[in-house]
Amino acid sequence: MTDMLAEKGCACGSEADEQELMVRLDEVLEEYKDNEGGLIPVLQIAQGLFGYLPENVLRKIAKGLDKPYSEVAGVVSFYSFFSTQPRGKNVVRVCLGTACYVRGGKQILDAFKKNLKIDVGETTEDKQFSLEVARCFGACGLAPAIMINDDVHQRVKPAQVKQILASYSETELEEA
Amino acid sequence: MSKKIKSLADLEKLQLLEVKKLGLRMDHSVPESNDNTPREILVCVGGGCLASGALKICEAFNLAIEENGLSQKVTVVETGCMGPCAAGPVAKIMPDNVFYQGITVEDAKTIVEQHIMQGLVVQHLLYKDAVSGQPVANIDDIEYFKRQNKVVLRNCGNIDPLKISEYIAVKGYQALAKAVSSMSSEAVIDSMLQSGLRGRGGGGFPTGLKWKFTYEAESDSKSVVCNADEGDPGAFMDRSVLEGDPHSVIEGMAIAGYAVGAARGYVYCRAEYPVAIERLQKAIDQAREVGLLGENILGSDFNFDLEIRMGSGAFVCGEETALMTSIEGNRGEPRPRPPFPAIKGLWGKPTVLNNVETFASVAVIISEGAEKYAELGTEKSKGTKVFALAGAVNNTGLVEVPIGISLGELLYDIGGGMIDGKPFKAAQLGGPSGGCIPKEHLNVALDYESLNELGAIMGSGGLIVMDEDSCMVDVARFFLEFVQEESCGKCTPCRVGTKRMLEILERICDGKGEEGDIEKLLTLGQQIKETALCGLGKTAANPVLSTIRHFREEYEEHIRDKKCRAGVCAGLVRAPCQSACPASVDIPGFVSLVGEKRYAEALMLHRERNPFAAACARICFHTCEDHCRRATLDSPISIRGIKRFMVEQEVVIQVPECKENKKNAAKKIAIVGAGPAGLSCAYFLARLGYKPTLYEAAPRPGGMMAQTIPSYRLPREILAREIRMIERLGVDIQCNKTLGKDFTLEELKEQGCEAVFMAIGAPDGLMLGLPGEEAEGVCEAISFLREYNIRGSVPVGKNVVIIGGGNAAIDAARTAARLDAESVIVVYRRTRDQMPAYEEEIEEAEAEGVELKLLTSPEEIIVENGNVTGIRCKSMELGTFDRSGRRRSVAGDQADFIIPCDQVIAAIGQRVDLPPLIGQVSLAVKRDGYLKTDSVTKQTSEEWIFAGGDVATGPSSVIDAVADGEKAAAGIDLMLTGKDNAFWRAEKKVDTFFDPDADPVMYEREKQPLIPVERRSCNFDEVEQPWDEATAIRQAKRCLRCDYREEATTW
Repeated sequence: MTDMLAEKGCACGSEADEQELMVRLDEVLEEYKDNEGGLIPVLQIAQGLFGYLPENVLRKIAKGLDKPYSEVAGVVSFYSFFSTQPRGKNVVRVCLGTACYVRGGKQILDAFKKNLKIDVGETTEDKQFSLEVARCFGACGLAPAIMINDDVHQRVKPAQVKQILASYSETELEEA
Repeated sequence: MSKKIKSLADLEKLQLLEVKKLGLRMDHSVPESNDNTPREILVCVGGGCLASGALKICEAFNLAIEENGLSQKVTVVETGCMGPCAAGPVAKIMPDNVFYQGITVEDAKTIVEQHIMQGLVVQHLLYKDAVSGQPVANIDDIEYFKRQNKVVLRNCGNIDPLKISEYIAVKGYQALAKAVSSMSSEAVIDSMLQSGLRGRGGGGFPTGLKWKFTYEAESDSKSVVCNADEGDPGAFMDRSVLEGDPHSVIEGMAIAGYAVGAARGYVYCRAEYPVAIERLQKAIDQAREVGLLGENILGSDFNFDLEIRMGSGAFVCGEETALMTSIEGNRGEPRPRPPFPAIKGLWGKPTVLNNVETFASVAVIISEGAEKYAELGTEKSKGTKVFALAGAVNNTGLVEVPIGISLGELLYDIGGGMIDGKPFKAAQLGGPSGGCIPKEHLNVALDYESLNELGAIMGSGGLIVMDEDSCMVDVARFFLEFVQEESCGKCTPCRVGTKRMLEILERICDGKGEEGDIEKLLTLGQQIKETALCGLGKTAANPVLSTIRHFREEYEEHIRDKKCRAGVCAGLVRAPCQSACPASVDIPGFVSLVGEKRYAEALMLHRERNPFAAACARICFHTCEDHCRRATLDSPISIRGIKRFMVEQEVVIQVPECKENKKNAAKKIAIVGAGPAGLSCAYFLARLGYKPTLYEAAPRPGGMMAQTIPSYRLPREILAREIRMIERLGVDIQCNKTLGKDFTLEELKEQGCEAVFMAIGAPDGLMLGLPGEEAEGVCEAISFLREYNIRGSVPVGKNVVIIGGGNAAIDAARTAARLDAESVIVVYRRTRDQMPAYEEEIEEAEAEGVELKLLTSPEEIIVENGNVTGIRCKSMELGTFDRSGRRRSVAGDQADFIIPCDQVIAAIGQRVDLPPLIGQVSLAVKRDGYLKTDSVTKQTSEEWIFAGGDVATGPSSVIDAVADGEKAAAGIDLMLTGKDNAFWRAEKKVDTFFDPDADPVMYEREKQPLIPVERRSCNFDEVEQPWDEATAIRQAKRCLRCDYREEATTW
């Protein structure tokens, strides 16, 4: 996600094990314990660490911040950014904000659905890609736009979708 | 820079030091084009340009600089958004003040080698002026920038946002210093009140007043909060400010803190903006380092610090109370107001909550004074506003203009006009809370009050421009879907109300709209507006209410006619071309059949909906091509060309499927007027077994197709063949029978006519109404063309002037050019792109020697001895917009001039004179003087009288008339039988082959051949020729088969 979270130890790409991550979570909880309204930043950092918010992590957070689990779960379910399901390595976000919509965003989304063979909110079987609909991320001047991880691709045409996806699968293979 | 800044004096000294480092950017007096002088290359790395690869461009610049040993002389500076996203990546070369756009990695190298090292400006990267087409190098000369007033965006594109030293160099933080060292809190608040600044987040509440209330509230711990949630789809100005000039926001917030007595601030920034968050955090850290945030700022006893809180993907958190609730660590649900945040805000304490743009304006007001700021804008809305232009406009990106500029000016003068010159349909302002503005209101001033009057809002300033490819019902549905998803669920009106509204809209877009749906939407919308808890709910219905207000016909078309004219709604549209065709011809069907050489089947399919395949192949204005989806790939399918090839293959015209029906055959049906509407109605009635009689006033049938369209466009025999086919179906055409003279409507009724279809057209041309027009040699175009077409000759002068810009004018011009005229001039009072005539026709007219005199208005006909000898004209200029969405032409400054001529032909419009024709029968008439008819059945106010074609619509096209005739035939049959028997409307399965996984074939669109100009000059031979078979097949294969649907699903 962002550098701010990376400082706290983002797990994307690294193979840190759950033990280590729980230790880091403890440190974060210690830091934010007395910070008013700190629940949401803690959730954001936790999601950065684990990739998503599994139940055991949420229970730990509830305990660490001295809040009822129901309150923590309630906040998690309200915000669309928080996911209690594991996500794919690459998150594809297709913007369907007005400008992108008016310039063919829906066709782009359909092309992704077809190519990845998944629907919105789902992850491919090999866990490489998740597909989401994004709220506008402010690249309206270059609609239709999509984001894959932190990369913004602009003026996308349905014919380009296959190619764009291939470039992400390739980089994965190269690293391995 | 880590030395603490302890006082105003410190700051001023530092500023003088730092500004020298920016010397090249500040001092434009350094001469341009000096090779090897020190230079700075400012590269935009705002969000848009980043996505266009700006960082690679920076790398390329740096590489080229290094390779050429220029590292001491040339620096690359990464700045914030310069504005024109569509032209990115962009860069500025200083001190030359030269602006480059559309830069590639190769271009970066070229810029260094040519411009930096040799002083030669790189021409192909320059901005091209929209009017003259000439390249413009200097930013100060570029219209797009000249017309803007950058206040909020003053530093974006000019400084490196990651260097506080640059912000200080441009006098940053001096406003804070001034406030803290020499102004009281009251004085600061007073200044804000005097400036007239209103909240730029959308509410438009006077900022000074908000600060005053917060100041007056008593508390030990107040806060300043910046709303950087910017959830409006289409808005990206806050993002650009945070990424390009974060210190301006920090300074604004600090000044607010000083004014109201707050020591802590929060910036709530949405998670979708990682770059903005990163840069803002860096800026905050830098400010803290030098003591501009923290304790005892600038040597005073004012303490203030800032923290960033990230959003988590909830649009409702852009609403101020939900935002504060979110900072407090809860579900982002809004709270009732009052109490307002100024009294009870964050953690129940007084809080100033303002938008990014608002805060970014503060420093300017304090340092330059409220009066200066108030010089821009209108009386009630001072200052500037940043608009984010997006959608179907050329110069998409950010622009900052004084409030009060008109929408038309913003769109055309700064925005560069519509993409591909398409007509403007609507502009959506203010996102999901806003409303749309149609072309009738292009003159609206963009200020808070004027927009509210139109049912729109200023909102965040996100302006989405839409052309005819957007369906307004779908747009409303889209926004409502968004709001429904983002509704927090706390209050019933929003949670349930928006869901019910969405259900209705989805039904409408799916083709299941019902009578009364529009009224339901209006009632629901009004209720939600009045009872919802927060701004999201209160404004949720706005897009729906606004689109119903300005585009009600589109809703009605969806519900009653089951038609989506923009070709968008999946439930109503099989393919956009078919949807756009007024007669709903199965275009993908016949095109794919032509592609397989199955011409007879293609013709049959075409004639299911339109009998005039051969005529329309020559003269239709092909609105289908304007909506072709292939245009997004390369260019639209050449549908009319394919049609022309198809009809060329016909040897004997086949008759269509007809149903014999003795009962129908016995009924008497009369059709008045054998033009395209009348003939089409006869055709479809005959297919149902009726035997209608057509009464035509002229000596031969065909209407405008035969009487005025010249034969070099539509050969006589081609049209006659199709009319004969219609006669063969049992239709009786009686010519030389004029309504009102040879027979009347009452007589028809007495003779037992059960229904009459009036298709008499708008056959009279309008005269100019100018002094001198009674002279010899002055006539109007319709009679001129009719006389030629029917008699075979018509008097033509040597020097002919034609007044008008429509198809009749061009037809008259090209006809005169083929006869005795030596010079033919078309005089039109607006510009070429505003001429209603088909572009292809205008081009050919010019090729044939017709001269266009544009922006010219006729004033008086000069007469000598009863004959016309000239016409006195006035030069015009374009002024404000009129209700057709075009700029009015207004008299210019130059003196009048005379065009000598011996014939003047007026082609300025048509009309129909109803009273002598319809006699005692009274028929309801519309405001424009044409007959009122039901949109589905074409019935008039008299139950047994139907009407269609020009007499109901005003001068329109052949295909519109054909469609009206078909609807009337179905309407008449419905009235007589009570049942819907229009069997030709059922969708036909076309069994042509199509592979949905194959890539589209990349043939280019080809034009049809034309006979050379020299061979046209003295004859009326058909100008346009068909392709050969190979070309036609290729062109047919370009079709993307939007009609294709997957047959079965496997799960």
